[in-house]
Amino acid sequence: MAGAGLWVRWSLRDLRKRWLQVAVIALVAGLGSGAYTGLGSASTWRRAAYDNGYAALAAHDAKVSLTANADVDAATLASVPGRLAHPGWVDGATVQLVVPTQVDASIDGRTILVPGRVVGVAFDGPAPAVDRFDLRSGAALSPSGRDGVLDVHFARHHGLPAAGDLRLGGNRSLRYTGLVLQPDYFLIMNDLGGFLAEAGYAVAFTNLEAAQELAGKPGRANQLVVRWAAGVDPGAAHDELAAAFAAAFPDQASTVADRPDERASRVLYDDIEGDQKFFNVFAFLIMAGAAFAAFNLASRVVEAQRREIGIGMALGVPPPRIAIRPLLVGLEVALAGVAFGVAVGVVVGRLVVGVFSDFFPMPAWATPFQGGAFARGAAIGVVLVFVATVYPVVRAVRVEPIDAIKVGLRETKPSGWAGLVQRLPLPGGSLGQMPVRNALRNPRRSLLTALGISAAIATLVGVLGTLDSFTATIDRGEREILATSPDRMLVTIDGFERRGGAATTAVQAVPGVAHADEGLRVVGRVAPLGPGEVADVGAVGTDGFDVVIDLLDMADAMWRPSLVAGSYPGDRPALVLSEKAATDMGVVAGGTVRLRHPRREGLGYRWTVSEVLVSGIHPNPYRYAVFMDLRHASLMNLDGIVNFLQVTPVPGTDRDAVVWGLFHLDGIASVVPVSTITANVRQTVGRVTDVLDIVQGVVLVLAVLIAFNSSSISADERARENATMFAFGVPVGRVLAMGVVESALIGLAATVLGVGLGRVVLAWIVHGVLPGTMPDLLVVTSVRGVTYLLAAALGIVAVAAAPVLTSRRLRRMPIADTLRIVE
Amino acid sequence: MSLISLAGVGRSFDTVAGRVVALAGVDLEVDAGDLAVLLGPSGSGKTTLLNLIGALDQPTEGRIEVGGRDLTTASRRELFAYRRETVSFVFQTFNLFPGLTALENVRFGADVAGRPDAAEEAHAMLERVGLADRASHFPAQLSGGEQQRVAIARALATGNRVVLADEPTGELDYRTGIGILELLAEQSADGRRAVLIVTHNREIARMADRVVELQGGRVVRDGAPDGGAVPVASLRW
Ligand SMILES: Nc1ncnc2c1ncn2[C@@H]1O[C@H](COP(=O)(O)OP(=O)(O)O)[C@@H](O)[C@H]1O
Ligand SMILES: [Mg+2]
Repeated sequence: MAGAGLWVRWSLRDLRKRWLQVAVIALVAGLGSGAYTGLGSASTWRRAAYDNGYAALAAHDAKVSLTANADVDAATLASVPGRLAHPGWVDGATVQLVVPTQVDASIDGRTILVPGRVVGVAFDGPAPAVDRFDLRSGAALSPSGRDGVLDVHFARHHGLPAAGDLRLGGNRSLRYTGLVLQPDYFLIMNDLGGFLAEAGYAVAFTNLEAAQELAGKPGRANQLVVRWAAGVDPGAAHDELAAAFAAAFPDQASTVADRPDERASRVLYDDIEGDQKFFNVFAFLIMAGAAFAAFNLASRVVEAQRREIGIGMALGVPPPRIAIRPLLVGLEVALAGVAFGVAVGVVVGRLVVGVFSDFFPMPAWATPFQGGAFARGAAIGVVLVFVATVYPVVRAVRVEPIDAIKVGLRETKPSGWAGLVQRLPLPGGSLGQMPVRNALRNPRRSLLTALGISAAIATLVGVLGTLDSFTATIDRGEREILATSPDRMLVTIDGFERRGGAATTAVQAVPGVAHADEGLRVVGRVAPLGPGEVADVGAVGTDGFDVVIDLLDMADAMWRPSLVAGSYPGDRPALVLSEKAATDMGVVAGGTVRLRHPRREGLGYRWTVSEVLVSGIHPNPYRYAVFMDLRHASLMNLDGIVNFLQVTPVPGTDRDAVVWGLFHLDGIASVVPVSTITANVRQTVGRVTDVLDIVQGVVLVLAVLIAFNSSSISADERARENATMFAFGVPVGRVLAMGVVESALIGLAATVLGVGLGRVVLAWIVHGVLPGTMPDLLVVTSVRGVTYLLAAALGIVAVAAAPVLTSRRLRRMPIADTLRIVE
Repeated sequence: MSLISLAGVGRSFDTVAGRVVALAGVDLEVDAGDLAVLLGPSGSGKTTLLNLIGALDQPTEGRIEVGGRDLTTASRRELFAYRRETVSFVFQTFNLFPGLTALENVRFGADVAGRPDAAEEAHAMLERVGLADRASHFPAQLSGGEQQRVAIARALATGNRVVLADEPTGELDYRTGIGILELLAEQSADGRRAVLIVTHNREIARMADRVVELQGGRVVRDGAPDGGAVPVASLRW
């Protein structure tokens, strides 16, 4: 009996004979494992870039902020870290003054008018002690002087130069000398807590004195950021910090937040997990496509070797021995796939990091080789491809030798449903029927090919459907926000004032302003109220979530939320919640929840928890949007107090002109047309899709490769039939056309399967993944017609075109030699 | 002028092991109505010659004209048209399309030649080879002899004037072989067609009006068989 060397040589010869198909399968497997490893590595690189970014810029561990536009004496605030029971726990602290303002960064005739803030930071020597700057371009912020620096996200989004002038609300201005990253603003969130807000939110930094001067608040501050010494328990330190602040400012309500719990930081890190879940789905689907393709090739290699297998068995070679050769082919393909996978992984990883580093600028992005991810991807790739070859091989060596040797038996002994579909009466001549007959001739094989392609299509539908769903969700939010009053703008007042106060009067006097409805916006937190539970402070916090509560005059306002259930608040204080909030808390209209909200006491505010009725549900997809009636401001002890206005321009007036007019008023913090809020979200979501474009590219290549491979395998198997047709004078173009029709049929089946599977994937993403990664958003499942069209274009057109790639081979086929091969 | 006319035809192959001369200096004229047998031992060049006449291959020397068309100067497109309109093959290994039924395989021949009455023609041909009752069977469900009869029906359904059969009985038993040969012999009887049958079997050659004997790629004999043609049924091998 021959030694192992012969079997390896023999299998390599098999491999060489089909080198093109083997290369394609290896590439497909490589795309699968490469996509997995590349996307997996990107997560590690992102986490490292964030960790290093926070460390490099001495990011704060805890932040004390004051509630609702209050401020305190800066020197006293600076003394708080020294008042901790363990002052040694503090490694560094920086006092800040955050000044909300409208920012006019218009340039070259483009109007860029957005809300934002100027953050004044106390310097400790040449740099702040905590939350330092990473200078991206221009000149650094100086500890003295009146110039500032601008956050790079906003500047980059609008293509602003490295230095320039900003006009701020109330006729103030600020010159900036450079563009920076600051760890508190690695991710830009607007006042509403919406992240990815960089297009519509400007953050500028100055030294503390410059900010105090801008705000007209000399010696004041409203935020303290603290960094703990190494080895300090952040929980204990947090409590000491809160106690020290309360001792220093007994009447001042404040929030102490740990950085890992802050939204921006949480979103940054959660996003990695969320993306990875996403990517794993897609990588898995790509792998599934590769496995089907490998299975297909293995089945056909085995079929081609059938007679040889039979002869081997007839000669008494034991089946395991016979199985070695085709199994070796599978293993060799798998190993080649791993080689490709490493290359693809490196490319995909680079592309993904390119997108992320562009999207989330960090002080430094490093991309060290991820051995672990690569080893995992390689292992999965090898195992999948190898396992896919085992089944057909085992099946082949199980048959009786006599059946294996018999010619033609394997080819269509029509039986069962295969026989049924073969007998379907078909219209048209024999040539017209041939493609259908061929596709149905071996339904199992056609189905496998279709499955491989359908995995690619499912991935595509999953990717594009996710994007479509986001778009549909944004559309839904936009419809709700624009609704009856699409021209309206939200005008935020600096601080609070009485109804009918100076700011309101001034706004109403601006030319072009038709109406100004007063409102009150406060932040809070809601949580479900368990049966028999009593509302108490502190209980909200672990199980609830943050909300922004807009108190409007529900009876008269130009805009109010629409309702999908329940009613507007009546006499008792009541909330109108978003569907997502209601579902998450398990309440319906008429139920009760716990609301943590600020309550005015003396000169300051205290957090307090109330049990509040839910009167209605609104359709806005953002969970944090909560509405109350302005009449119920008494709950916060803020009767007759307002801090924002909904303003409509006189029909026909230039909206920009009205915005400018409002912008120049004293006491106005921001002016934002509601339509730009949604426009900015839309723009930013558009950038997230860059990563999905990479996945899409991989998927497209994959589908074409799988289609090409099965066409190429078919061309091999059909060589004799094609030669016979040529012998009868059927032109090459006609033979190709039949191949195209056959492929199109398989492509059609693949598309139907793939779209169905893609919908399942999408449903899982929307209902299984997104609620965890984007808890604030109620994503509606939606797939646009264009997506189906694209799937069909890929599945039917691209797949149908694959046989054309074999036309050279057909044209050059030596007809006589092909026919002389005697089976 | 003859239907098939070869003058000084040679075909050699360049292989890694050197030049193989498969045919050399072959002159041959075959008229419509002829039933000719190409006889010779294995490797004598029979298949090569048949392939040249069928335009599946090009000679390295000489000229081939069939039905007034010069195959050596014709374009690729013309050769495809020639194969559709002038010649039909019957192969030793049948080469039926496994995805088509018996009837559909026959219909293929009629379709490809562009016959307007393809459907009727296919039925008629299948009936003529005695397989009308197997019309909806696939090749895998037919015996070797039945498959070869379908292949002949397919070739005849084209209506083409030159029928080329390469060892059509090679894979078949004696009785079945006789049936196939009778079927082929009938085809030249109407005087419109020329039928060329390749065989290495001297006994089979006795059925022909004319035997062309090849040896080492050369024609060593061309004429009526010894003792004249005998009925197929009397052949013994
Ligand atoms: N494509 C080819 N390459 C090399 N030699 C060939 C080729 N085709 C045929 N031959 C050689 O030409 C000779 C005649 O072959 P063939 O016509 O098939 O013989 P026959 O059909 O009489 O058995 C043989 O020696 C064969 O090896
Ligand atoms: Mg031969």
